[in-house]
Amino acid sequence: MRLTIVAVVLAALTACAPPGENSGSSGEATGPIKIANVNAQSGQLSSLGKWENKGVKLAVDEANKAGGVNGRQLQLDLFDDQGDPTVGTNLARKISSDGYVAMLGTAESAVTLAMAPILKDAKIPNITSGQSPKLAELKSPFLFLNAPTSVTFDETLAKYLVDEKGYQKIALISNNGAYGSGEHDAFSKSLKARNVTPVADEVVTPEQKDFNSNLAKIRQQNPDVLFIGAEEVQSGLIAKQARELGLKAIFAGGAPMGTDVYATTAGLANAEGSVVSSPYLSNEASPAIKEFAAKYKAAYGEDARLHVAKAYDGASILIEALKKTGGKGGQELADAIRGVKRDGLLGQYNYDEFGVGIHETKIGLIKQGQAVPATAS
Amino acid sequence: MQVFLQTLIGGITFGAVYALVAMGFSIVYRTMGLVNFAHGSVVMIGAYAASTFYMASKVPFAVAIVVAIVVTGLIGLIIERFLRPLENKDFTLMLIGTIGFGAVLEALAILIWGATGHAVPSPVATEPLNLGGVRIPTYSLLVIGVAALATTMLAFFLRRTKLGAAMQAVAMDHEAATACGIHVGRSNAMAFGIGACLAAVAGSLIGPMLYVNPTMGGTLGIKGFAAAMLGGFGSMPGAIVGGIAFGLLDAFAAGNFQAYSELVTFVVFALAVMIRPTGIFGEATVNRA
Amino acid sequence: MRRRLLLLAPIAVAAWLLPYGLGGYTMHVVDVAVIFAVLAIGLGLTMGVAGQINLAQVAFFGIGAYTVAILTSRTGLGFWPAAVLAILASIAAGLLVGIPALRMQSHYLGIVTLGLALGFINWVTNAGIAGRAEGISDIPVPPLFGIDLSSGYLYYYLELAVFALVLVFALFVTRSPLGRRLRAMRDDDLAAGALGAEIPLLRMTAFVLSGLYGGVAGVLYAGLIRFVAPETFNIGNMFLLLAMVIIGGRASIVGCVIGALGLAFVREALLDVSAFAQLGYGIVVVLVVVFFPKGLAGLPAQVFRRKTGERPRLSPFVPYDEVPPADARSVLEIDQVTKRFKGLVALQDVSLSVPARQIRGIVGPNGSGKTTLFNVISGFYTATAGRVRLDGASVGGLAPYRLSLKGVARTFQNLRLFEDLTVRDNILVALDRTRTSWIWRYLALPWAVSRYERSLRGRADEVLHRFGLTEFADAIPRSLPYGIQRRVEIARAMASLPSLLLLDEPAAGLNGDEVGRLAEIVRSIRDSGVTVVVIEHNMGLVMSLCDHVTVLSGGRVIADGPPDEVAVDPRVVEAYLGDSMAAPTEREAEHEHADR
Repeated sequence: MRLTIVAVVLAALTACAPPGENSGSSGEATGPIKIANVNAQSGQLSSLGKWENKGVKLAVDEANKAGGVNGRQLQLDLFDDQGDPTVGTNLARKISSDGYVAMLGTAESAVTLAMAPILKDAKIPNITSGQSPKLAELKSPFLFLNAPTSVTFDETLAKYLVDEKGYQKIALISNNGAYGSGEHDAFSKSLKARNVTPVADEVVTPEQKDFNSNLAKIRQQNPDVLFIGAEEVQSGLIAKQARELGLKAIFAGGAPMGTDVYATTAGLANAEGSVVSSPYLSNEASPAIKEFAAKYKAAYGEDARLHVAKAYDGASILIEALKKTGGKGGQELADAIRGVKRDGLLGQYNYDEFGVGIHETKIGLIKQGQAVPATAS
Repeated sequence: MQVFLQTLIGGITFGAVYALVAMGFSIVYRTMGLVNFAHGSVVMIGAYAASTFYMASKVPFAVAIVVAIVVTGLIGLIIERFLRPLENKDFTLMLIGTIGFGAVLEALAILIWGATGHAVPSPVATEPLNLGGVRIPTYSLLVIGVAALATTMLAFFLRRTKLGAAMQAVAMDHEAATACGIHVGRSNAMAFGIGACLAAVAGSLIGPMLYVNPTMGGTLGIKGFAAAMLGGFGSMPGAIVGGIAFGLLDAFAAGNFQAYSELVTFVVFALAVMIRPTGIFGEATVNRA
Repeated sequence: MRRRLLLLAPIAVAAWLLPYGLGGYTMHVVDVAVIFAVLAIGLGLTMGVAGQINLAQVAFFGIGAYTVAILTSRTGLGFWPAAVLAILASIAAGLLVGIPALRMQSHYLGIVTLGLALGFINWVTNAGIAGRAEGISDIPVPPLFGIDLSSGYLYYYLELAVFALVLVFALFVTRSPLGRRLRAMRDDDLAAGALGAEIPLLRMTAFVLSGLYGGVAGVLYAGLIRFVAPETFNIGNMFLLLAMVIIGGRASIVGCVIGALGLAFVREALLDVSAFAQLGYGIVVVLVVVFFPKGLAGLPAQVFRRKTGERPRLSPFVPYDEVPPADARSVLEIDQVTKRFKGLVALQDVSLSVPARQIRGIVGPNGSGKTTLFNVISGFYTATAGRVRLDGASVGGLAPYRLSLKGVARTFQNLRLFEDLTVRDNILVALDRTRTSWIWRYLALPWAVSRYERSLRGRADEVLHRFGLTEFADAIPRSLPYGIQRRVEIARAMASLPSLLLLDEPAAGLNGDEVGRLAEIVRSIRDSGVTVVVIEHNMGLVMSLCDHVTVLSGGRVIADGPPDEVAVDPRVVEAYLGDSMAAPTEREAEHEHADR
């Protein structure tokens, strides 16, 4: 009986005032401007996450040294999504309830995709390092990419391989992870548009290590080009095993193949001559890039790379937009980001309605483990 | 045909590694009836120890393997010492205890070497052998050779030495062995040590084949364990046959079922184990009454 | 019970008021933690209570969440119908993954379930319908009478209601005859089978429960996060779940909940230093396993060991009412039974017939096939050739539980009491004579189950009283002297109201007084109308107790007759003298097989 009374009272209480939070806590105009950086710091792809974070930090530190935004300092907080979309959704909620004006990251499209709806509801702009075409398909007004999507990467690659070099016998090997399947679909589409049918199309799992059977099948077709759609390490393993099998084809792929991880995993000799499509080929491509690479090396004692550069670009764009809004977030900030026209390290940023800012990549060739622009060779 | 043979080569090479991992599982299991789920992580530590030393000091690869053996051997002894109070008590608890150790080793690897991992240059840099279009990488031959050598040495140790005979006795009958004056505890520690050494050999060999990172132990552990079961848990010939069988299963599934290979591999494995739970060679174990 | 309820009330009120003090994000963390708690309960039931090492729990979770996601986003089905189908799908998956459990146990089962879980992740990463690696992101907000469940605060109340329901159900199951049987199966599946527990069905039941809880958690997850991707259901999370259950205490449902909630919050607190967090869990799991095997739930008992005031004493046995003899029909008839193990002949053309109300002694040197004969009679082994008849009906090849239901009870040479169950629970396992198919009542008629349980408890008290064990009712068998354990085993066998009782060396390890009391008990059992077959080495006891003796040697019957005649039979004398020459292989063979 007593219990019933308690229950009734409680029910009444709940009915009157359902628990909740007062929204609109992010509007303060004093104190530091809070920016969240979400990236995997643990798990398989944590190397990407660590590079991204260093790039972002470099840009924010520079801005703070130069006096911040409207006299307010920028506060950069790092969150570890562990490469897990569920953790990502948790973090999205955390970011939205803790008064962050914007989020930078993540390097994994699947995590960004999971976070996007929550950030959109909370009106928090997100500049991601993901490059899955699905990010653009969302058409979220609060989601921006700091790099081209796989479509651009692979269209450029197809243009070079088919239109310029005239290769027709092209084989595909890709994994079924978020990155690999995105690459597979984008490159297949570009080939189809050119009326080229791949001579082989092998799909592997991201965990797979032995590609003998897949590569032996590809070898039977004797292709001119082998397109590899996989992350750095797996691309390297595929390249290594392909050469061991006597496959003579030229390797081609996206940004992962421009990294030293790919080159060392494959072995320098095996990686030699690989064709890579990337908006950021080397640390010597232009005076601006040279300057950036030198700053980075001075700050962290290691060489800069694509992931660092695009994170730096993304953060710089955010800072520029924040200066325009005077530190305000929400819709205003999103509009400001869309309006930024910036000559970045990766190229000319010019955002479209899909949130994509860069619309072209360059072709590079791997020489001694380093990517060099194809035109220069 | 060429595709078939090439798949075979790949399957056998990886199978040899699985066999080494499976032997590590089996020797611990037959001696003390314990399934060491941390074994995969010990392999990973072995891979790190060997590759780090090899790349930093430029010594011959064989020396690096020895260093790795010492490191993992110590880890094996530590794990055994910790779990000793549970020996012959609660099987499930010990199983979970070793899972805990696996997590600890993985976390330590991340803290020591970072989460990124590194590639290891191949210690033999010669052209692959070409047999009528089927190419066999020389490193694969090295892997198979070292695996065979390790197996032979282990067999010799178990059959022909006093310590080995004592371990065999413990494996057959715990109590009778104690009655004969055999120190069971020492035998157990020994088994754990040998298991860890095998892990180091496996890990060292995998390094140049693949890429060394903290999470590599998980898959290797699960596949090595499955291989041991396929062959007959606790049986040494079973571990070898099971390892190769699992390597082949993996390789052919990848060729024929593409990205669905993992699903196919594990479903086939589950069916095989259901048809014959004791594996190809039957389970050889201590009697847990 | 009433005090328990009063204790529960403040917890319930606190849980109800909790959201009022939390920020939005913390609320979300609590919501996720509750889902893990539901999963942990499921794993606790399968692993802790039923002893099935199930590493596919996270896959059941995934199947629940994915089914909701696929049905709502691809077919436009409403959230709740999809939820019902999702739970059914998880249960179906539970049944499928449970099939291997019929053939294998412990680590074998562990790796097979783990492999199947990996297979599931592989499937969702590939299948277009499951959204591949990017997952499915447009799951609708579950509608509920106009309440906006997209708010983490209001969703919490939905979760709380579901959680309370599944928690109560889990507690109800563990404290009922089914839960007792599951625990008995965990401790000793052979003995449980011999007491009428249908082991295969019980194992499937454990996996169905696992699937049910996984499915419920999956539905809650889908409604809360409204996004599914393969990464969430990976092996790392399976091990986290395992750590929750182990740290909390796997055999205690409340322990599992505490472990799950605790670890979920710790994980959240250490999110930014996840390598250290992992190191932490690992170390804690190892420490718990070594020092607190019962987890947090077992901690209070370990710290405050209850001081026993008075030492419990064994009371005298209360004899059964004598039943006047009926016709002298033959209860057990063994006809030309042969049993071979891989070329080794353990029994060769053994025939014997035991009339009602007889105490039949089976004697013979070590390795003569006595226990093998018992194993054939009680259904552990199937005879290679020959027939076993019970009350005239052939029972060859029947499973032990069927024989138990037909009135065969046995004890074991090396005591097979359920070690983590109290003496009373040991007796209760045997008293429960229902078939496992009876368990539909747990969902449909829970009050009928409670009534049945009360009647069982009343009868357990009677049995305990008869065997003088009342003061030991709440003791754990392991803690009791050997002689008392033997008596518990006989009481347990008699609790199943058998018509045929098989005693395997009941006097082994007993002192003179105890042997005398044993003889008294066995005679009273016979006088109550039960036929007794006893294997015994103590020749004094055999001579005084048995009405008739059968002598086995080398797997054959070499003599059969009244004790005094058999004792002087020259073949028997020779067999016993030659005992030391007999190969001891059979005992080992039996051992090995009995352990499977």
